[in-house]
Amino acid sequence: MSPPAMPTKEKTTAPALAVNGLSLPPPQLHPKIQLEEEQENQEHPSGLLDSIMWMAAPKKRRTIEINRTRRRAESKLIKVKNNIEPCLECGHLKQKHVLCGFCYAKVSRETGLIRQQINAMEGGPLRTPTVETVVLYEGETPSTQDKDKRIVERPRKRPAWFSY
Amino acid sequence: MRLTLRALVSHGRLARRMGLGPESRINMLRNILTGLVRHERIETTWARADEVRFYAEKVSGGGDVDEKAMKMASFWLTEKDLVPKLFKVLAPRFENHSQGYTRMARLPNRENLDRAKMAVLEYKGNPFPPLYPVKRENELTLINQLLKGYREEKTKDVEEL
Repeated sequence: MSPPAMPTKEKTTAPALAVNGLSLPPPQLHPKIQLEEEQENQEHPSGLLDSIMWMAAPKKRRTIEINRTRRRAESKLIKVKNNIEPCLECGHLKQKHVLCGFCYAKVSRETGLIRQQINAMEGGPLRTPTVETVVLYEGETPSTQDKDKRIVERPRKRPAWFSY
Repeated sequence: MRLTLRALVSHGRLARRMGLGPESRINMLRNILTGLVRHERIETTWARADEVRFYAEKVSGGGDVDEKAMKMASFWLTEKDLVPKLFKVLAPRFENHSQGYTRMARLPNRENLDRAKMAVLEYKGNPFPPLYPVKRENELTLINQLLKGYREEKTKDVEEL
Protein backbone atom coordinates (compact mmCIF):
# COMPACT_ATOMS: atom_id res chain seq x y z
CA MET A 1 0.00 0.00 0.00
CA SER A 2 1.53 3.24 -0.96
CA PRO A 3 1.44 5.83 1.80
CA PRO A 4 -1.62 8.10 1.58
CA ALA A 5 -0.99 11.06 -0.62
CA MET A 6 -0.26 14.19 1.37
CA PRO A 7 -2.43 17.16 0.54
CA THR A 8 -0.38 19.59 -1.45
CA LYS A 9 0.42 22.66 0.61
CA GLU A 10 1.41 25.97 -0.79
CA LYS A 11 4.30 27.58 1.02
CA THR A 12 2.28 30.74 1.57
CA THR A 13 -0.44 29.05 3.79
CA ALA A 14 1.90 28.55 6.81
CA PRO A 15 0.50 29.81 10.20
CA ALA A 16 1.29 33.36 10.98
CA LEU A 17 2.03 32.75 14.67
CA ALA A 18 3.59 29.53 16.10
CA VAL A 19 3.52 28.94 19.88
CA ASN A 20 5.85 26.31 21.44
CA GLY A 21 4.30 24.10 24.17
CA LEU A 22 0.70 25.08 24.67
CA SER A 23 0.13 25.52 28.47
CA LEU A 24 -3.50 26.69 28.38
CA PRO A 25 -6.35 24.05 28.70
CA PRO A 26 -8.05 23.04 25.46
CA PRO A 27 -10.72 25.52 24.37
CA GLN A 28 -14.14 24.89 26.06
CA LEU A 29 -17.18 24.48 23.93
CA HIS A 30 -19.77 25.06 26.71
CA PRO A 31 -19.44 25.73 30.50
CA LYS A 32 -21.92 22.89 31.46
CA ILE A 33 -19.95 20.16 29.68
CA GLN A 34 -16.82 21.42 31.53
CA LEU A 35 -18.53 20.90 34.97
CA GLU A 36 -19.60 17.32 34.05
CA GLU A 37 -16.11 16.47 32.90
CA GLU A 38 -14.65 17.74 36.18
CA GLN A 39 -17.12 15.68 38.22
CA GLU A 40 -16.27 12.56 36.22
CA ASN A 41 -12.55 13.01 36.81
CA GLN A 42 -13.13 13.48 40.56
CA GLU A 43 -15.33 10.33 40.84
CA HIS A 44 -13.22 7.29 39.91
CA PRO A 45 -10.49 6.80 37.33
CA SER A 46 -12.20 3.59 35.98
CA GLY A 47 -15.16 5.71 34.90
CA LEU A 48 -18.31 4.41 36.64
CA LEU A 49 -21.17 6.59 35.67
CA ASP A 50 -23.52 5.50 38.54
CA SER A 51 -23.78 6.81 42.11
CA ILE A 52 -20.66 7.73 44.03
CA MET A 53 -21.24 5.30 47.03
CA TRP A 54 -20.93 1.71 45.65
CA MET A 55 -18.75 -0.26 48.17
CA ALA A 56 -20.25 -1.70 51.40
CA ALA A 57 -18.61 -0.57 54.62
CA PRO A 58 -19.59 -0.86 58.27
CA LYS A 59 -21.39 2.14 59.60
CA LYS A 60 -20.57 1.70 63.29
CA ARG A 61 -18.03 -0.17 65.39
CA ARG A 62 -19.38 -3.55 66.57
CA THR A 63 -19.56 -3.46 70.32
CA ILE A 64 -17.82 -6.07 72.44
CA GLU A 65 -21.19 -7.43 73.64
CA ILE A 66 -22.36 -8.10 70.07
CA ASN A 67 -18.97 -9.59 69.20
CA ARG A 68 -19.11 -11.86 72.24
CA THR A 69 -22.59 -13.17 71.43
CA ARG A 70 -21.46 -13.98 67.89
CA ARG A 71 -18.14 -15.60 68.88
CA ARG A 72 -19.55 -17.63 71.77
CA ALA A 73 -22.65 -18.93 69.99
CA GLU A 74 -23.59 -22.55 70.69
CA SER A 75 -22.63 -23.69 67.20
CA LYS A 76 -19.11 -22.23 67.48
CA LEU A 77 -18.15 -23.74 70.82
CA ILE A 78 -16.35 -27.12 70.96
CA LYS A 79 -18.86 -29.86 71.84
CA VAL A 80 -18.36 -31.79 75.04
CA LYS A 81 -17.78 -35.53 74.56
CA ASN A 82 -19.38 -37.81 77.10
CA ASN A 83 -18.21 -41.12 75.57
CA ILE A 84 -14.74 -41.14 77.12
CA GLU A 85 -14.02 -43.77 79.75
CA PRO A 86 -10.92 -45.43 81.26
CA CYS A 87 -9.79 -48.72 79.76
CA LEU A 88 -10.36 -51.57 82.22
CA GLU A 89 -7.04 -53.21 81.40
CA CYS A 90 -4.53 -50.35 81.50
CA GLY A 91 -6.41 -47.34 82.83
CA HIS A 92 -5.69 -45.05 79.90
CA LEU A 93 -8.61 -43.06 78.56
CA LYS A 94 -10.40 -44.38 75.51
CA GLN A 95 -13.59 -43.72 73.60
CA LYS A 96 -16.35 -46.25 74.14
CA HIS A 97 -16.59 -47.46 70.52
CA VAL A 98 -12.82 -47.36 69.83
CA LEU A 99 -10.07 -49.75 70.95
CA CYS A 100 -7.69 -48.55 73.70
CA GLY A 101 -4.58 -47.03 72.06
CA PHE A 102 -2.15 -48.34 74.67
CA CYS A 103 -3.49 -51.89 74.65
CA TYR A 104 -3.55 -51.96 70.85
CA ALA A 105 0.03 -50.66 70.73
CA LYS A 106 1.07 -53.58 72.98
CA VAL A 107 -0.73 -56.08 70.75
CA SER A 108 0.63 -54.47 67.58
CA ARG A 109 4.21 -54.66 68.88
CA GLU A 110 3.87 -58.33 69.72
CA THR A 111 2.32 -59.14 66.33
CA GLY A 112 5.24 -57.29 64.71
CA LEU A 113 7.72 -59.48 66.55
CA ILE A 114 5.76 -62.63 65.66
CA ARG A 115 5.76 -61.57 62.01
CA GLN A 116 9.54 -61.00 62.14
CA GLN A 117 9.92 -64.56 63.43
CA ILE A 118 7.63 -65.85 60.64
CA ASN A 119 9.70 -64.01 58.01
CA ALA A 120 12.89 -65.49 59.43
CA MET A 121 11.32 -68.96 59.26
CA GLU A 122 10.07 -68.51 55.68
CA GLY A 123 13.39 -67.11 54.55
CA GLY A 124 12.15 -65.07 51.60
CA PRO A 125 9.13 -63.43 49.98
CA LEU A 126 6.10 -65.29 48.60
CA ARG A 127 6.63 -68.53 50.57
CA THR A 128 3.47 -68.85 52.68
CA PRO A 129 2.85 -72.44 53.75
CA THR A 130 -0.57 -74.04 53.30
CA VAL A 131 -0.99 -74.85 57.01
CA GLU A 132 -2.27 -72.91 60.01
CA THR A 133 0.12 -71.15 62.35
CA VAL A 134 0.31 -71.26 66.15
CA VAL A 135 2.52 -69.19 68.45
CA LEU A 136 4.22 -70.86 71.43
CA TYR A 137 6.18 -69.11 74.13
CA GLU A 138 8.97 -70.37 76.41
CA GLY A 139 8.37 -73.69 78.04
CA GLU A 140 5.21 -74.55 76.11
CA THR A 141 4.71 -77.77 74.18
CA PRO A 142 2.33 -78.13 71.27
CA SER A 143 -1.00 -79.58 72.33
CA THR A 144 -3.22 -82.04 70.40
CA GLN A 145 -4.95 -79.17 68.58
CA ASP A 146 -1.59 -77.89 67.25
CA LYS A 147 -0.73 -81.21 65.63
CA ASP A 148 -0.48 -80.23 61.97
CA LYS A 149 0.21 -76.54 62.41
CA ARG A 150 3.36 -74.53 61.78
CA ILE A 151 4.84 -73.57 65.17
CA VAL A 152 6.30 -70.10 65.68
CA GLU A 153 8.50 -69.90 68.76
CA ARG A 154 8.87 -66.68 70.69
CA PRO A 155 11.79 -66.64 73.17
CA ARG A 156 9.93 -64.97 76.04
CA LYS A 157 7.38 -65.67 78.74
CA ARG A 158 3.76 -65.74 77.60
CA PRO A 159 2.22 -62.28 78.21
CA ALA A 160 -0.79 -62.19 80.52
CA TRP A 161 -3.03 -60.62 77.88
CA PHE A 162 -2.34 -63.31 75.28
CA SER A 163 -4.17 -66.43 76.37
CA TYR A 164 -7.03 -68.11 74.55
CA MET B 1 -40.60 -31.19 32.34
CA ARG B 2 -38.47 -33.27 34.72
CA LEU B 3 -40.49 -34.51 37.65
CA THR B 4 -37.55 -35.82 39.72
CA LEU B 5 -34.32 -34.01 40.42
CA ARG B 6 -31.01 -35.81 40.91
CA ALA B 7 -29.89 -34.16 44.15
CA LEU B 8 -26.40 -32.69 44.43
CA VAL B 9 -26.08 -34.07 47.97
CA SER B 10 -25.39 -37.80 48.35
CA HIS B 11 -28.06 -38.57 50.93
CA GLY B 12 -28.61 -42.30 51.34
CA ARG B 13 -26.19 -43.40 48.62
CA LEU B 14 -24.34 -46.51 49.77
CA ALA B 15 -21.87 -47.07 46.95
CA ARG B 16 -18.52 -45.53 47.95
CA ARG B 17 -16.23 -43.86 45.44
CA MET B 18 -12.55 -44.64 46.01
CA GLY B 19 -9.43 -43.83 44.02
CA LEU B 20 -9.54 -42.69 40.41
CA GLY B 21 -12.69 -44.54 39.34
CA PRO B 22 -14.43 -47.95 39.62
CA GLU B 23 -11.51 -49.87 38.11
CA SER B 24 -9.04 -48.11 40.40
CA ARG B 25 -11.29 -48.89 43.36
CA ILE B 26 -11.35 -52.61 42.52
CA ASN B 27 -7.56 -52.66 42.10
CA MET B 28 -7.07 -50.92 45.44
CA LEU B 29 -9.43 -53.35 47.20
CA ARG B 30 -7.65 -56.25 45.52
CA ASN B 31 -4.33 -55.11 46.97
CA ILE B 32 -5.79 -54.66 50.43
CA LEU B 33 -7.45 -58.09 50.23
CA THR B 34 -4.16 -59.73 49.23
CA GLY B 35 -2.50 -58.10 52.24
CA LEU B 36 -5.28 -59.32 54.50
CA VAL B 37 -5.03 -62.91 53.25
CA ARG B 38 -1.24 -62.85 53.67
CA HIS B 39 -1.05 -61.21 57.10
CA GLU B 40 -4.52 -62.04 58.53
CA ARG B 41 -4.64 -58.71 60.36
CA ILE B 42 -4.25 -55.27 58.76
CA GLU B 43 -4.71 -51.62 59.70
CA THR B 44 -6.21 -49.27 57.13
CA THR B 45 -8.66 -46.42 56.97
CA TRP B 46 -12.14 -47.29 58.17
CA ALA B 47 -13.78 -46.74 54.78
CA ARG B 48 -11.35 -49.09 53.00
CA ALA B 49 -11.71 -51.74 55.70
CA ASP B 50 -15.48 -51.54 55.41
CA GLU B 51 -15.33 -51.96 51.63
CA VAL B 52 -12.84 -54.85 51.75
CA ARG B 53 -14.87 -56.71 54.38
CA PHE B 54 -17.57 -57.67 51.86
CA TYR B 55 -15.02 -59.02 49.39
CA ALA B 56 -12.96 -60.77 52.09
CA GLU B 57 -15.98 -62.73 53.26
CA LYS B 58 -17.06 -63.59 49.73
CA VAL B 59 -13.56 -64.82 48.83
CA SER B 60 -12.84 -66.91 51.92
CA GLY B 61 -16.32 -68.36 52.43
CA GLY B 62 -16.42 -70.54 49.33
CA GLY B 63 -15.85 -74.23 50.08
CA ASP B 64 -15.78 -75.77 46.62
CA VAL B 65 -12.68 -75.69 44.42
CA ASP B 66 -13.91 -75.55 40.83
CA GLU B 67 -12.63 -73.74 37.76
CA LYS B 68 -14.67 -70.60 38.38
CA ALA B 69 -13.54 -70.37 42.03
CA MET B 70 -9.90 -70.74 40.94
CA LYS B 71 -10.30 -67.97 38.38
CA MET B 72 -11.91 -65.64 40.92
CA ALA B 73 -9.24 -66.37 43.51
CA SER B 74 -6.47 -65.82 41.00
CA PHE B 75 -8.05 -62.48 40.02
CA TRP B 76 -8.51 -61.25 43.56
CA LEU B 77 -5.14 -62.32 44.98
CA THR B 78 -2.29 -60.54 43.25
CA GLU B 79 0.35 -62.75 44.95
CA LYS B 80 -0.22 -66.24 43.55
CA ASP B 81 1.28 -68.17 46.47
CA LEU B 82 -1.73 -67.16 48.56
CA VAL B 83 -4.26 -69.02 46.37
CA PRO B 84 -3.43 -72.45 47.92
CA LYS B 85 -3.46 -70.81 51.36
CA LEU B 86 -6.95 -69.50 50.67
CA PHE B 87 -8.37 -72.88 49.66
CA LYS B 88 -6.44 -75.08 52.12
CA VAL B 89 -6.29 -72.88 55.25
CA LEU B 90 -8.98 -70.22 55.24
CA ALA B 91 -11.86 -72.13 53.63
CA PRO B 92 -11.64 -75.15 56.02
CA ARG B 93 -11.24 -72.79 58.98
CA PHE B 94 -14.61 -71.17 58.27
CA GLU B 95 -16.54 -74.34 57.42
CA ASN B 96 -18.61 -74.23 60.60
CA HIS B 97 -19.18 -70.46 60.55
CA SER B 98 -22.27 -69.46 58.58
CA GLN B 99 -21.38 -65.78 58.25
CA GLY B 100 -18.91 -63.38 59.80
CA TYR B 101 -15.38 -64.53 59.02
CA THR B 102 -13.86 -61.12 59.64
CA ARG B 103 -13.72 -58.79 62.59
CA MET B 104 -13.36 -55.02 62.25
CA ALA B 105 -12.57 -52.70 65.15
CA ARG B 106 -12.06 -48.96 65.19
CA LEU B 107 -8.68 -47.60 66.20
CA PRO B 108 -7.74 -44.15 67.53
CA ASN B 109 -7.29 -41.65 64.65
CA ARG B 110 -4.00 -41.70 62.75
CA GLU B 111 -1.28 -39.52 64.26
CA ASN B 112 -0.61 -37.57 61.02
CA LEU B 113 -1.98 -34.17 60.06
CA ASP B 114 -4.97 -35.84 58.39
CA ARG B 115 -6.17 -37.57 61.63
CA ALA B 116 -7.79 -40.24 59.48
CA LYS B 117 -10.37 -42.65 60.91
CA MET B 118 -8.49 -45.97 61.17
CA ALA B 119 -9.69 -49.53 61.63
CA VAL B 120 -8.09 -52.93 62.09
CA LEU B 121 -9.52 -55.79 60.02
CA GLU B 122 -8.70 -59.41 60.80
CA TYR B 123 -9.81 -62.90 59.94
CA LYS B 124 -11.22 -64.79 62.93
CA GLY B 125 -8.96 -67.57 64.17
CA ASN B 126 -5.69 -65.82 63.43
CA PRO B 127 -2.62 -66.80 65.49
CA PHE B 128 -1.96 -63.30 66.84
CA PRO B 129 -2.88 -61.88 70.30
CA PRO B 130 -6.57 -60.94 70.53
CA LEU B 131 -7.72 -57.36 69.98
CA TYR B 132 -10.34 -57.48 72.70
CA PRO B 133 -8.98 -58.55 76.10
CA VAL B 134 -10.18 -61.94 77.28
CA LYS B 135 -12.23 -61.58 80.46
CA ARG B 136 -10.41 -63.23 83.33
CA GLU B 137 -11.65 -63.67 86.87
CA ASN B 138 -9.44 -61.83 89.35
CA GLU B 139 -8.60 -64.04 92.37
CA LEU B 140 -7.44 -61.13 94.47
CA THR B 141 -10.72 -59.17 94.73
CA LEU B 142 -12.33 -59.06 98.19
CA ILE B 143 -15.45 -61.02 97.26
CA ASN B 144 -13.43 -63.74 95.55
CA GLN B 145 -11.10 -64.05 98.57
CA LEU B 146 -14.07 -64.33 100.95
CA LEU B 147 -15.73 -66.97 98.74
CA LYS B 148 -12.44 -68.88 98.59
CA GLY B 149 -12.19 -68.85 102.37
CA TYR B 150 -15.83 -69.99 102.66
CA ARG B 151 -15.22 -72.89 100.29
CA GLU B 152 -12.11 -73.98 102.23
CA GLU B 153 -14.01 -73.90 105.54
CA LYS B 154 -16.84 -75.91 104.03
CA THR B 155 -14.43 -78.61 102.79
CA LYS B 156 -12.73 -78.67 106.27
CA ASP B 157 -16.11 -79.10 107.99
CA VAL B 158 -17.04 -81.90 105.61
CA GLU B 159 -13.72 -83.65 106.31
CA GLU B 160 -14.16 -83.33 110.12
CA LEU B 161 -17.66 -84.85 110.00
